[in-house]
Amino acid sequence: MRYAPLTVPIIKRGIFLAATGLLLAGCQSSPSTLNPQGPAAARISDLTWVLFVVGGAVYVIVMALLLYALFRRRATTQSSGPPGRERWIIWGGIGLTAVVLLLIFGFAVNTLVAIARPDTADQLTVEVTGHQWWWEVHYPDEGVTTANEIHIPTGEPLEIKLKSQDVIHSFWVPELHGKLDLVPGQTNTFWLQADQDGEYWGICAEYCGIQHAKMQFVVVAQPPAELERWLQAQSQPAVTPTEPQAVRGQEVFMEANCGECHTIAGTAAGGELGPDLTHLASRRTLAAGVVENNRGNLGGWIIDPHGIKPGNLMPATPLSGEDLQALLAYLEILE
Amino acid sequence: MDATTQSPPARSHGEADIAVTGESEAKQLERTWADPPGLFGWFRALQNDEVAKRIMGTAFTFFVVGGILALLIRLQLLSPESTLIGPDTYNELFTMHGSTMMYLFVVPMMEGFAILILPVMLGNREMPFPRLGAFSWFTMAMGGVLFYVSYLFNAVPKAGWFALAPLSGPEYAPGIAMDFWLLALGVAEVAAIAAGVEIIIAILRMRAPGMTLSRMPMYAWAMLVTAVAILFAFTPLMVGSLLLELDRKIGSHFFNPALGGSPVLWQHLFWIFGHPEVYIQFLPATGMVSMIVPVFARQKLQGYTLIATAVIATGFMSFVLWVHHMFTVGLPQVTMTFFSAASILIAIPAGAQIFAWIATIISGRPVWKTPFLFVIGFLVIFVLGGITGVMVGLVPFDLQAHDSYFIVAHLHYVLIGGSVFPIFAALYYWLPKFSGKMLSERLGRWNFWLMFIGFNLSFFPMHIAGLLGMPRRVYTYSPGLGWDLYNVLATVGSWILAAGVLLFLINFFYSLRYGEPAPENPWQADSLEWGTATPPPNYGFAALPVVRGRHPLWQQERIHGEQTRTEKLMKALSKWPLTWRAALTTTALEAKPEEIFRVSGPSIWPFVTAVGLITIFAAEIFTLRALVGLGILVIIVGIVGWHWPDDVDTPAEEEEAFEKEHGIPVSTGSSRAVAKWSVGLALLIIFIALASFVFSYIYIRLVNSAWPPANIPLPNLLWPAIGTAVLLASGGAVRWARAGIATGKQNHLRLGLALTFVLGAVGLGLLIYAFSGLSFNWQTHAYGSIFYMLGGYALLIITSGLLMNLFTQVWSWLGRYSAKRHVAVANTARFWYGTLVLWLVVFFTLYLSPHIW
Repeated sequence: MRYAPLTVPIIKRGIFLAATGLLLAGCQSSPSTLNPQGPAAARISDLTWVLFVVGGAVYVIVMALLLYALFRRRATTQSSGPPGRERWIIWGGIGLTAVVLLLIFGFAVNTLVAIARPDTADQLTVEVTGHQWWWEVHYPDEGVTTANEIHIPTGEPLEIKLKSQDVIHSFWVPELHGKLDLVPGQTNTFWLQADQDGEYWGICAEYCGIQHAKMQFVVVAQPPAELERWLQAQSQPAVTPTEPQAVRGQEVFMEANCGECHTIAGTAAGGELGPDLTHLASRRTLAAGVVENNRGNLGGWIIDPHGIKPGNLMPATPLSGEDLQALLAYLEILE
Repeated sequence: MDATTQSPPARSHGEADIAVTGESEAKQLERTWADPPGLFGWFRALQNDEVAKRIMGTAFTFFVVGGILALLIRLQLLSPESTLIGPDTYNELFTMHGSTMMYLFVVPMMEGFAILILPVMLGNREMPFPRLGAFSWFTMAMGGVLFYVSYLFNAVPKAGWFALAPLSGPEYAPGIAMDFWLLALGVAEVAAIAAGVEIIIAILRMRAPGMTLSRMPMYAWAMLVTAVAILFAFTPLMVGSLLLELDRKIGSHFFNPALGGSPVLWQHLFWIFGHPEVYIQFLPATGMVSMIVPVFARQKLQGYTLIATAVIATGFMSFVLWVHHMFTVGLPQVTMTFFSAASILIAIPAGAQIFAWIATIISGRPVWKTPFLFVIGFLVIFVLGGITGVMVGLVPFDLQAHDSYFIVAHLHYVLIGGSVFPIFAALYYWLPKFSGKMLSERLGRWNFWLMFIGFNLSFFPMHIAGLLGMPRRVYTYSPGLGWDLYNVLATVGSWILAAGVLLFLINFFYSLRYGEPAPENPWQADSLEWGTATPPPNYGFAALPVVRGRHPLWQQERIHGEQTRTEKLMKALSKWPLTWRAALTTTALEAKPEEIFRVSGPSIWPFVTAVGLITIFAAEIFTLRALVGLGILVIIVGIVGWHWPDDVDTPAEEEEAFEKEHGIPVSTGSSRAVAKWSVGLALLIIFIALASFVFSYIYIRLVNSAWPPANIPLPNLLWPAIGTAVLLASGGAVRWARAGIATGKQNHLRLGLALTFVLGAVGLGLLIYAFSGLSFNWQTHAYGSIFYMLGGYALLIITSGLLMNLFTQVWSWLGRYSAKRHVAVANTARFWYGTLVLWLVVFFTLYLSPHIW
């Protein structure tokens, strides 16, 4: 069964217009929970709007009552008003609260059940492991390992197994779903689905140490056929350099002990502390979603990773200009 | 009854009190209740006003410090990718800000208020344990300072105020920063519990005669529930902190998933504290509001019984919704649904209180003074925070909002709106009574509007930033995510808010020097604290008031008027004894006079004990074990000195004459009722800790499929079972000893106590022997960690019971007990019974449960 949008669009639009001033004053490119791009986020967004309307109404009623209480016209001589009025206010207030709570609780449980698992069976599973401060992404059935970038089929649910290598992290793509923690010692199962092709911003939402702020990632939704091709390409070992500068670059990589922490499939580099670099050049970002993946940033990252991301666990690698250029030439062919 | 229609009494209540007592008697009482002079005297001081002022002053200082940290946080977030403050420093800032506000500002502030106003509000002379109050301040101040000493060692905690394991554990937080957090705040937690104990007893056993529970001011209800909640919440926190410290220091594995522990256990222990903590900060505020609203609405509080019920319900419910902080941990849906329902249900008692205050205002006539302005500000802000609270109590919404700026907005609406605004209302309301000077209304209004506007400007935009995807605890953010505007607004607002707080300080210090003198009852209030001179004399009331209604000063033109037996007793009590600090205990429900007892006087020992405590905790931060041992010695000396009986100069015949004439027992030692309740509360704390340990045991058992884990045999039952039997026999012996002294048989008592001690010691020895033969230790596996922890805890309590027994024995040989007076024997026996029950629980958990489960 496909997800059918709930019938609150009219209220929604009304509030949207009313609240445009503040809510949309920011730029449209916010990873907004109220701009849902997948079924789970859409259900939560519907609930959120209902809560805004109901909560807003309750707030207005209580404040109106308070204003009346403060500023009502009072006779010059003291009179305590019609008898029993206080009791009406108190018990009426309690009754109103109880009814409102009951209704929204029902709606919330309904939403909770709806977003617990996708409507259709998921075909694809990906394991996401949190590290201080990056994301390891592994497609077990396809034998693909990458980092900080999760490719998903547009319009289809994807199962995500969340684990942690060190401390607690939390997986959050606001436009697609709520969040779920990555807890050491347990595996949490989550799912994602995007309705449109596109890139969706994600970030760690549980404080995890010095670079918690820069532990980001991107979810790339692409047509299933395209995803198939991507997985196929990613499952290949790294290309072997042929051009002399790149050949030299591979030597630099090994000499500088980069392989202690990084893996490049098909070479002697098999480290597991840092991200797998087999297809580094195909990625969009560096340093866990922090900077664009281009030659300048990559060079800067290798020479001085702490300039971009102070306190992260990658040591600075002092290289001569020549060696650095060779290394970059090698890394750039790792598509 | 309307206050405005009442003509002012011909003479103030304070003057009337002195007239009843007599000038010279009043002067003598004032001297008896005064703190000793000089520097040494300053360390011995324990008068409740003095202690409260110290606690509140210290707490307010921490509020200002925590606020400055917040301003720095806001400066860093003013613009995206700001490099003003580095990530490490930023993470330290939000950790210190949250911890300071939670542990060092709001809770001590609320307890300080209670110590300041409860004795006079309840119409008595002092708190039941002035020395405990003094101790609470010393520990709170020392713990707070020790917390900030971390800056000197460049070891500032940075794992957040919630310190989630394993980020706070040995592997990911090496060094001593987390030890500062755990141990320095541990001292402050001891302070919170200590003050909580005396607040409970003051409210239940030291009210003015006639102040039945249903006539008690609502503030007392709120503080009663708060203080009980403090015991139930801070104890698990201390247990959790202890377990984490053990993981860090001796290599146990409570929170290490690699060896059977679980990081989620920390979250349970922390939030079992952390959520009630919110209500520990909020409930006293509702009590303040319930006092202030009726006075400025010129109408008695509407829905009194309902509000009291709501306060109690809130206290209970606050303990069954901690899991709503853990909705993203990956718990079963049914668990989350239950805690979600509990979380939103708490809106009903909160709502009931709000509607009751509004109903009070509707039927009254508002008088717009600064305290009332702050109360209205509280309502406007807190109601919004309550509504967003219901929203985040719903699991699906929380999945998005959790750990986003929406939560930052929500929690500040609840805590600043729900606690800080009422605290300012209360400061404007009550300070004049105790400083003797009115605060400026003009500055007060500016103070209010700056804080109100600054607060909303700062925190409202955070709701939107959070919905737009901004997570919490990030030291910076990228441009182009649409969050910039809201962060600018928040930073601007924070400075306006700070200006408001600054204005309060100016107003306060200005008033001390140039303020109008405060009259006895400047707001025409109804409760008893306004029925004594301003500022209140050291003794509070010379002749304790006899209460005949819920609003004594509105209903009783004169406090002392009738010719009842109780009135006669109160007048007699104002004239005798004059040379020692006599206070009255009353029955818990009906507040009938029960006993005249002696409140302990100035003493250096609370300070010594606090120094011992801080020595232990500070030394443990640096793992200086010899110094830890020294601290333990200092504490033992301190406690013995603290409880050393000192004699009074009134002859026993006077006591007996007074007893005979008024039919009320007089105790120049400690009060029977108070002592009984204090042992009861001590046992309660011990059992709450036990429950926390057993909870941890069960939790760790559940995350492990094999129990005991592979290579560890099932516990051997032989020696522990024999030890248990011997311990149970000692329970019979202590019962026999107590029965002996009840009929005056001294040797019977001595023999019984000795027998109890011998049996107890043999039982303890057998248990230790059983432990020494174990094939594993606390480093083997989380099973070993919790086994040794729970067992060690039981052995420690048994040892304490034996030490208590030893002191009682010494005094029994000195012949200090009689058939009539043997409070200490009764308490030793009670404590020993509690110890035995505790051991049975531990025996079952450790030795039997693995065999059957």
